[in-house]
Amino acid sequence: MTRLVDTLKTPIIVALALIFLLLIVGEMLSPGFASPTQIMRLLIVAALLGIVAAGQNLVILGGREGIDLSVGGVVSLSAIIAGNLMNGQDAGIPLAILGCVATGALIGLINGVGVTLMRIPPLVMTLGMLGVLQGLLVVIRQGIPSGRAAPGLSQFVTQPFLLGLPGIIWLWVLIGLFLAFLLSRTVYGHRIYAIGSNEQAARMAGVPVAAIRISLFALSGVFAAIAGICLIGYSGSSFANVGEQYMLPSIIAVVFGGTSLAGGKGGYTGTMAGAMMLTVLQGILTTVNIDESGRQMIFGATLLLLMLFYGRGKAMRA
Amino acid sequence: MAKLKISGVSKAYGATVALSRGDLELQAGEVHVLIGSNGSGKSTLCKIVAGSVRPDKGEVLLDGKPVTMSGPRASKALGIGIFYQELSLAARRTVEENICLPDLPMKGPFVDRKTLSERAARYIALFDGVTGEGFSPDATVDILRADQRQLVEIMKTLASEASILIFDEPTSALDRAQVDRFFQILTRLKQEGRAIVFISHRMDEIFSIGDQVTVLRDGATIGTSRIADTNAQEIVRMMVGEEPAIAAQAQTSSAASGPVALRLANLSGAGFSDIGFEVRQGEILGLGGLHGQGQSSVLRALFGAGAVTSGDVSLEGASYRPHDPRAAIRAGLAYVSGDRGRDGVIQGRPILENVTPIHFLRNRLRLASPASLKRKATPAVEALKTKFASFAHPIGSLSGGNQQKIVIARWLIDRPKVLLLDDPTKGIDLSAKADLFALVRTLAAEGMAIVLYSSEDAELLSNSDRILVFNGGRITRELTGAERTRFNLYEAAYEAA
Repeated sequence: MTRLVDTLKTPIIVALALIFLLLIVGEMLSPGFASPTQIMRLLIVAALLGIVAAGQNLVILGGREGIDLSVGGVVSLSAIIAGNLMNGQDAGIPLAILGCVATGALIGLINGVGVTLMRIPPLVMTLGMLGVLQGLLVVIRQGIPSGRAAPGLSQFVTQPFLLGLPGIIWLWVLIGLFLAFLLSRTVYGHRIYAIGSNEQAARMAGVPVAAIRISLFALSGVFAAIAGICLIGYSGSSFANVGEQYMLPSIIAVVFGGTSLAGGKGGYTGTMAGAMMLTVLQGILTTVNIDESGRQMIFGATLLLLMLFYGRGKAMRA
Repeated sequence: MAKLKISGVSKAYGATVALSRGDLELQAGEVHVLIGSNGSGKSTLCKIVAGSVRPDKGEVLLDGKPVTMSGPRASKALGIGIFYQELSLAARRTVEENICLPDLPMKGPFVDRKTLSERAARYIALFDGVTGEGFSPDATVDILRADQRQLVEIMKTLASEASILIFDEPTSALDRAQVDRFFQILTRLKQEGRAIVFISHRMDEIFSIGDQVTVLRDGATIGTSRIADTNAQEIVRMMVGEEPAIAAQAQTSSAASGPVALRLANLSGAGFSDIGFEVRQGEILGLGGLHGQGQSSVLRALFGAGAVTSGDVSLEGASYRPHDPRAAIRAGLAYVSGDRGRDGVIQGRPILENVTPIHFLRNRLRLASPASLKRKATPAVEALKTKFASFAHPIGSLSGGNQQKIVIARWLIDRPKVLLLDDPTKGIDLSAKADLFALVRTLAAEGMAIVLYSSEDAELLSNSDRILVFNGGRITRELTGAERTRFNLYEAAYEAA
């Protein structure tokens, strides 16, 4: 019971209150902003961000300055791979999922090995990986067509499936439940918090620190890959660097949701609220005609502000 | 008239009294040795003289005039220089910069490099021929060996040219030739009329360099004698004080005769060499001696958290190679560190999660069901009389003693074969200590083999069936039965290794 109260505490309540407030502001600025169909659209976009942020969340929880800057690159790459493997055919969906998830896992695995066994700081490792993936995207794009989403996938992402909500939102809810269970009711989850909170103590208590950290990066790659598949379902076809827009917001969503960048503290429920809040904010910015560069500036400033408010208790390098 | 006279100074940190009555009379032109066991108040006394700790009570007279040390700068101005046990060097700066760091020669707003090199060279020259390979004025301190760094620290202290020099264990890392040279320098300084305070744990050094010796015990000055009028036995006797009756201490000795649980043969590694001993089931083996003589290093290495270079270990007759805590836990070892903040507590997480990690590993669990874990953890936590309101509360809500109990409780759900206790009661309250040792004895009575290192000699003497005294990374004496006295422990700990 206390744990339930704890998880509901401040950051999530703050996020939910802000979402509500932003919806009212949006509705005032542009009537129809908070209409059911519009909210549904916002939820789909939030789910895409939320799925990327799930992996980001796990990596950050694992501590030792864990962060995954390569998620955007994985989303883009996954969207291209999915598009080409499906090529507009429903029959290609299983292969697309398999190919994308394997690619994401492999990229995450390399990140994890670099961070643990080769002791490269996560920031540097994943930034380097992002550079590699961006180069790879340019090469691929010159050779093969970007492909098209299968109708089944587009339907899954955009059309109502159950209780009027599309499949992707149910997928997001499932991921939320899965992570809540993983973090609070499994040994693996407890170990994630342990290495994030006190790596040395965790090692002395027999936690396989390196293996767990590698697996967190691999999971981050998998979640980004899933988001990439869903993204091509949403947009129909992949275009250059579609995933780029996810790097910064995925971190903001995690921090906004109350997860400490120092690791070992937080959870995914807050991150889901953070993703919704950011999506609504993005919607408002679009409505008032602030372009992509303006949005980037606002997002960057938001992250810095959040660090000021939430980061004060514990220094990030502690 | 005494150069420096300290009378009746005291210092308490909260409820802990570090120094209850410190007296010291230091004459110009003498080397005055301070000696006392761990926690007797030597370092606090030195810090008061150096101005880094302000006394609660008492008087300090310098050349007969009362002075208040309002900080390190003030005592420096009064002509007091101190060598710190915990080295105070800037790692990325050069040897010569470090030597001159407390008083950099300036030319306008810039450091005067030429004067700096010249001044440093004078002090480096004092140790000509014993500084060893790789030592040069422009080498950065971080590439130097431990003994070389200690030399730099000594040079830095000498460069203060203070009339009162305090050396807090300056020779711990030095080799014979370096110590000899240092003593020659001290003798010359003495002849120049400087007053020198010298702290060392080596009887041979004390007798070769000292003029006077002041003994401290339990935070109070016991007495001062001329070195020429005393001997090592008498000094140890002053350090020990009234020896409690042996019968009271020997009560635990049940002469454990179970099978051998842990056997080490010629084990060497970082900080210890050629260690060999056996612990039987039901036995509490104590590791004694001064702090940092390899006791901790051996325990950590056994648990796979420190380096082993050679030697053999067997656990209940089966060969065991320590390399990783995970493997150690699976093999049946348990390790409790005195540094619970670093090695034990998973801060910010619920109490329950701090009790369960070993249980997860030993049983290869995948799921963590709170209800069943609480059932398992309850007896473990109750065995230590841990006070807490709910398993769901964060561990940080507990007192230090109760946090350590939780850390120990994690080893009690699935019992280990051998329990390694590495100064487990450091910084915890008396009642928690009592609960802990009551449990340790129960565990031993139930057949667990226990290896205990404690920096508190009383704790070690009253809880060990047998004591191995460590000195310089080796076992130098074994105390069994009625030999387990404070006198014997100190004598073995303070003799030259």
